Order: sequence, then structure tokens, then C-alpha cells
Amino acid sequence: MYQYDNFDREFVAERVAHYRDQTQRYLAGQLSEAEFLQLRLRNGLYIQRLAPMLRVAVPYGTLSATQLRMLAQISRRYDRGYGHLSTRQNMQFNWPEIADVPDILHDLASVEMHAIQTSGSCIRNVTTDEFSGAAADELVDPRPYCEIMRQWSTNHPEFDWLPRKFKIAVTGAANDRAAIAVHDIGIRAYKNADDAVVFDIFVGGGLGRTPVLGTAIYSGLPVKHLLTYLESIMRVYNRYGRRDNKYKARIKILVRAMGAEAFKARVEQDWVDIKGGPSTLSDAQVADMVAAFAPPARVTSAAASIDLDALRLEHPTFSHWLHHNVGPHQQANLTVVTLSTKMTGVPPGDVSDEQMDAVAQWAEDHSGGEIRISHEQNFVLPHVPRNALFELWEKARRLDLATANAGLLTNMICCPGGDYCSLANAKSIPVAEAIQRRFDDYDYVHDLGDLDLNISGCMNACGHHHVGNIGILGVDKKGQEFYQISLGGHSGHSGHAASLGQIVGPSFARAEVCDVLAIILNTFVDFRLEGESFLSCFNRIGIAPFKERVYVDAD
Amino acid sequence: MSTLIKRSAQGWEISHTDDRPNWKTPQDWQQGEPLLLQVDAEIDARFLQASTIAIDFPAFTDGRGLSLAVLLRQRIKYTGELHAIGAIHEDVLHYMVRCGFDVLELPQERCAETALRLLAPYTHHYQESVEQA
Repeated sequence: MYQYDNFDREFVAERVAHYRDQTQRYLAGQLSEAEFLQLRLRNGLYIQRLAPMLRVAVPYGTLSATQLRMLAQISRRYDRGYGHLSTRQNMQFNWPEIADVPDILHDLASVEMHAIQTSGSCIRNVTTDEFSGAAADELVDPRPYCEIMRQWSTNHPEFDWLPRKFKIAVTGAANDRAAIAVHDIGIRAYKNADDAVVFDIFVGGGLGRTPVLGTAIYSGLPVKHLLTYLESIMRVYNRYGRRDNKYKARIKILVRAMGAEAFKARVEQDWVDIKGGPSTLSDAQVADMVAAFAPPARVTSAAASIDLDALRLEHPTFSHWLHHNVGPHQQANLTVVTLSTKMTGVPPGDVSDEQMDAVAQWAEDHSGGEIRISHEQNFVLPHVPRNALFELWEKARRLDLATANAGLLTNMICCPGGDYCSLANAKSIPVAEAIQRRFDDYDYVHDLGDLDLNISGCMNACGHHHVGNIGILGVDKKGQEFYQISLGGHSGHSGHAASLGQIVGPSFARAEVCDVLAIILNTFVDFRLEGESFLSCFNRIGIAPFKERVYVDAD
Repeated sequence: MSTLIKRSAQGWEISHTDDRPNWKTPQDWQQGEPLLLQVDAEIDARFLQASTIAIDFPAFTDGRGLSLAVLLRQRIKYTGELHAIGAIHEDVLHYMVRCGFDVLELPQERCAETALRLLAPYTHHYQESVEQA
């Protein structure tokens, strides 16, 4: 993975010093709340319902064992011994003190990490496929391009004061695990007929109040033009995006208002002047960055060759785990392992310091020292030898990280919701827990097959409810928490195009959610054809049969 | 009395003055006069004829003036003085400098010493820029 050079180290150290200066001026009363807000947000610090929240950047979801150990240490020293994996592949701490944050940033810098631009109206952490550089279905490893964009967007002189936050996602695989259709800019990397890496560029996707799928505005962009083309998109957005209403300030609203064709024309008009200019990437720059993401030195296991089939027979839970949480790698002797945080009774994405330390150790023992955070809020070990799987499973099981539910109903995406977040209309964690308790039978959940269930505590949609096959949205009705359910959303992986869910009807009280979910699942089971997934079934039969059964007693 | 932070051959200098240019908006501006632009202005090659140009920031969080400055420097190759005026804040000056501003007019309540100290908090940058070094 990418290692900082002196330039990066010096920059991050200066950023820590800069932010320390800003914090001191704030604490001394020289900066107002409103002024400091803008500065602290650009360094990852929110003030939440109960306490500040610090969001640490995990660029494109990639961590080393050393970095994860530091996160564990920070959670012990400055927080309450746990952290939260966010849907944008970052790590959040819920209980730091404002005055400690410069010290936390200093500790992060010692392991080549930071919290720069993890919030605020600027270009956020670029996200990507959690299996990048490992997945068997990969066409192009997106990480070198993500790092190029991380550097370019960091402290950009022109684009740090945008109308609103700005999120870029990249996929380089046949299955889009980065949900590029619902990002401000989505990038699909692949190789053209000449075997050169090129990009398709999508703009104007997003969730939130106005969910929209992005529109393609450029097909086959050569690598060298990546930054100049992005610069033109950002400039058009920075100049013409609305600033009078924060709910209409995202690029999706601008693209919709102008029309995608007119937006594209504006971008190209700007691009003409800078295309081929100083920000053009040279072959050497790109080659150096690609080299920085070379696969880890041959990963092997000390364990003797093992008979997986015999172990599967002997340990059914291991067999379930292999089936759901272990995926194919580019190298036949390796696998990609998802360590699920979705154990019943634990808020989805929450991990303890002990778990973090353990995952770091397992990464060193079995995965070339690398860890990923997925947008589904799980840890991933990307390079695990086949003959280490049983040993890893036994270790993971002892630390509650071996739940065999990747891709299944109980592997819910869930935002922190009303328990933590000051924006939330409703709690989301207790809903997730109630669902996990109700649907705790492995055979039933396994029989339902691939199913994305996503929960957001408000319209901001941090839990990606619009693209869940089943989406649950917390809404406020006269001070009461209610939940709106939508069906048929999809983020674009597993061979289906991205789609936005349709609302099934009037919302439900929290106590009703599990019963309604049971009706929805039973409807699917009754209607499905052999081997049909929930999404395929929904796409075939539509929302009507679900509606009919859910509201049967309503009249 | 306004405080100006201005780039000179010797580096950045602070001065206090009541003697402000007689800014004209694009509607009533004529060649050779100081030109005042709002952040949503469209650029025009005629602006090269201005004696000096200012961009008026309605809020320190409004990045439109940064893009406008880059366009003046990069597109029409304006090389004269470029003033940042309006809601200027100590903590955004370093962006302004890198977007090609070379005169920063601080509102009265801001601190000139802090501003001067924070003009260039970073030794290196990840991007190309139109800074008028």
C-alpha cells in the first residue's frame, strides 16, 4: 500500500500545527463558534448530540496493521475503548475532548494518517471497492487513482469552500462495490481495446433528500487527463452550485437544473483551456503510483495444507462462514475475507480496541499486513491464504468477528442514528438490533439469500436506505419516531444496475417494524421462483403484492 | 481605516490606509479604472484593461471568488493587482494567495498579525497554482 514520502509527512505535520493554532485561538475566544465550526469540520470534528465526534480518514478504506493498532490506542487513550466503521470507509470516535483533538491528530500523523476533509463543504475522502487489489473480478486496481485524487483534493486552494460536501467513488471491478451511481462523481475504471486504463465519469448521483443516480458525461477518459477534467467539473460546480439553500446545494441539483448535456458542455468549455496543462499526469507519475500499490510480498501460511472439505463437514458454522464471508482472490491460493461486525447486540460497525488490535495481528499473520474497511461497515482481510482460513475463523469467532452473514439480511448497513447524531429524526441502532434478534435463525436468513437491508435515522441517508433492497428510514411525526420502508433499491453490485427503492406506503411505529419486515420477507418467499434473489423477485413482481399484504388490515 | 496585506518584492507587508481605489462595477467601469467584481461575475477579456481588480467576498465560506480569481489569472492572463475584499478571514488567506490574490484587505475586527502568520502555513502543495510568487 501507499507509504508517505517526506512531502506527505511534512504536509500532515504542518496541518496538525495549523489546526492546533486554530483550536488554541478558539479556546482563547479569538474565533467565534461559527468561524471555528468551518475549521474544525475540515479537520473531521463534529459536535454531536452528546459529545464531539472525530472522523478519521481511512483513504479508500485501506489500513495497515500499524495504523489499526494506533486507532485502537487512540480509542483507549482519548475515547471509551471503541470506534465506529462508517459507510464511507472511515473510522469515527464518539467521545473525544475538543482540546485533545490536536494531540489525537498528532498521534495519527505518526502512522501516516489524518482527519483532513472528512467533513465540511469540501472534497471528502475518496471511497472505493473494499476488495480492490485482490478481487477476482477486478479489471483495474482503483487505489493508485484514488491516492492521486486524495493528494490533488487535499487542501485544494480553489475547492475547499464548495457549496456543499462532495463525494467521489471509484470502482475498477465488474461488480461495483463502491456504489458509484450514488456519488457526486462516480468513476468506473477499465482497460480499453488498446489495454490502456480509461475512466467513465458519472456526475450528479447522490442520496439524501433527493436521491438521484449519476449521469455519464464522459466515456473513456485517458488517465493523464483525470485531474484536469475533475478540475473543470469542480469549477463549474463551485461557481454555479446553489449556495442559498443547503438542501439544494449538492451537484445533483445543479446537474438536474442545467440538464446533463448543458452541464457537460459547460465542463468541456472550461476543460478546453486546461486540458494538457500543468495538472496533466505524466506516465512516470502514474507508473510510480501504480508501483506503490504492488501486491504484498508473497503471502504464505505456516499452517500445513488443510482439508477444507473435511473441516466443513465437521464444523457447520465454519462452512457457513466460508460460504458467505470468504470470496475469490486474483491468486488461486489466496482468498478475500470479510470480518463481520454485525453480531446481534452490537451496533453495526462498532469495534472495540481489543477487536482492532486483534484484527491488526491477524492481518500481519495472514494478510500481508493489510486491512480494509467496507462501506458495509465490516473489516476485510484482502489476502488470506486458503490454508489459514480455519485458523483465522477460530480466532475471529472468539472475538465475535466471525458472524457468517456477509451479503445477508442481518449484515445491515446502519448509521449511528438518534443515539449519537444530532441530525437524526429517529434511532436506528435499536431497530437494527431488533431485526437481528427477530431473524436470528441462520437457516432462515441463509435461505432468503442475498439481501441488502439498509437503515438511516434521517433523510441525510448515511445508512444508504435508498439503495437497500429493503430500506428503512427514520422519520419524525409530531415528535414520535416512525419508520418508512422502501423496496427494490440496489447499489450496483452483483450484476444488477443501481436502482433507488420505492416507498411501500405510510410509515410504521418502531414496535411494528419487525412484523412488517416479516410480512415482506414472507411475501418474497411465497412469490420467488427457484433460486431467485429478493431483488430479482421484486423486479419481476413489483411493489403491489408487498403493499397489499403489508397494509391488508389497514382499512 | 482598512488594513492591507500586500505582496511586494520583499515579501508581504502590512499597511493601514483610508486611501482606497475608487472601485467601479462592470456596468460603469471604463478602461484604466479600478474594477470591482462580485463573486458571481463572468470573466471578460476587457478586464485586462483595468488598473486594478478586486473581488468582493460575501462570506469567508464562499469559494466562488477563488474560482473567479483563478479564471482571471489562468484564462485571460490578468497580471495586475488582485484585491480580496469583503468578508475576509485570517484562516482563508492562504487559499486566496494560492488562487492569485496579492492584496488582502482585512476587515477592521480581524487581526493583522495572525493574518500575516497564517498566509502560508504549508511549505509544499499537492497542486499546481496561480500564486503570483
